[in-house]
Amino acid sequence: MSSKRPIHTIKRPVNLDLSSIQFPLPALVSISHRVTGVIMFVGLAFMLWAFSVSLSSPQGFEAVKDVMTDNALAKLITWGLLASVAIHFVAGIRHLFMDMHVADTLEGGQRTAQITMVASAVLVILAGVWVW
Amino acid sequence: MSTLQVSVYRYNAETDSAPYMQDFEIDTHGRDLMVLNILQMLKAKDSTLVFRASCREGVCGSDGMNMNGKNGLACVTPLSEVVKNNKLVLRPLPGLPVMRDLVVDMALFYKQYERIQPYLQNENPAPAIERLQSPEERDKLDGLYECILCACCSTSCPSFWWNPDKFVGPAGLLWAYRFMADSRDTATRDRLAEIDDPFSVFRCRGIMNCVNVCPKGLNPTRAIGKIRELLMANAT
Repeated sequence: MSSKRPIHTIKRPVNLDLSSIQFPLPALVSISHRVTGVIMFVGLAFMLWAFSVSLSSPQGFEAVKDVMTDNALAKLITWGLLASVAIHFVAGIRHLFMDMHVADTLEGGQRTAQITMVASAVLVILAGVWVW
Repeated sequence: MSTLQVSVYRYNAETDSAPYMQDFEIDTHGRDLMVLNILQMLKAKDSTLVFRASCREGVCGSDGMNMNGKNGLACVTPLSEVVKNNKLVLRPLPGLPVMRDLVVDMALFYKQYERIQPYLQNENPAPAIERLQSPEERDKLDGLYECILCACCSTSCPSFWWNPDKFVGPAGLLWAYRFMADSRDTATRDRLAEIDDPFSVFRCRGIMNCVNVCPKGLNPTRAIGKIRELLMANAT
């Protein structure tokens, strides 16, 4: 007896091994736009909390200020959030242009993706310089 | 060295519990063949290998597959365009259920195509002669009507992977706009109403994978942008 299985009972496999699929630069830029959007949304809760503490009293302000200037982890988080804002901002402008049919071709999309990469990298580095 | 290393996705529902990759060595004699030629040579070595192909010149759209990570038609993709480090990896179109080896079940893809009612609709009585179109009106269909429904674009689109039942996908939306842009079609409002929800059109995030893979050089991303503009202009 062979190992034949009735076809209709089979859950068919789907080829969706992401490591086997090529993602061009415009795709990566667009995906990072979404990822940074989620990071901003989550990070905003912490920023609002820190903002609220800093406004609660002079002591609260000092406490937040101390953490922001001395604690490496707090600096890293601040930088991460600023970097997210920078990447999201630049990539968002790219999407706005595409909505206006500016550079919505294959070549145009690749070009603006490169510009977005360079511009957001500069902003991320500047944000790091500002935090430290 | 003209021996090409080929790795092919294999799955036979009757005998395999899971898909696996099978490796072949193919002597190309240094020729820049099309990927479909390689598949035919593989089939001569192992007749159990299954793939779709018909016209072998990029017209029928049967042999869409994932070649070294990029979707395309095997018949019009030369080795020199895809092979890296003398290696060629052939996998079925991503995101659709695999029926066998490189053959996928396109039912979901066709369902979305059917949804956009891909035929001319005109509420006015048919005239004695053809419905005429000016050359300018006809020009609006260029870059839209050429789609052969090979599914390379929709199966390269993450939004379609995650929501193939709700997001129309680049191919279906390109066709939807092809009829909205047609001066002889009077059903644009109904067409827009059918897809005016958070998923059908707006799952497109403009990552342009569709434009990147289209073997016909078409631009679904732009067509989707045009549909969004029509949705906005017709908003009530």
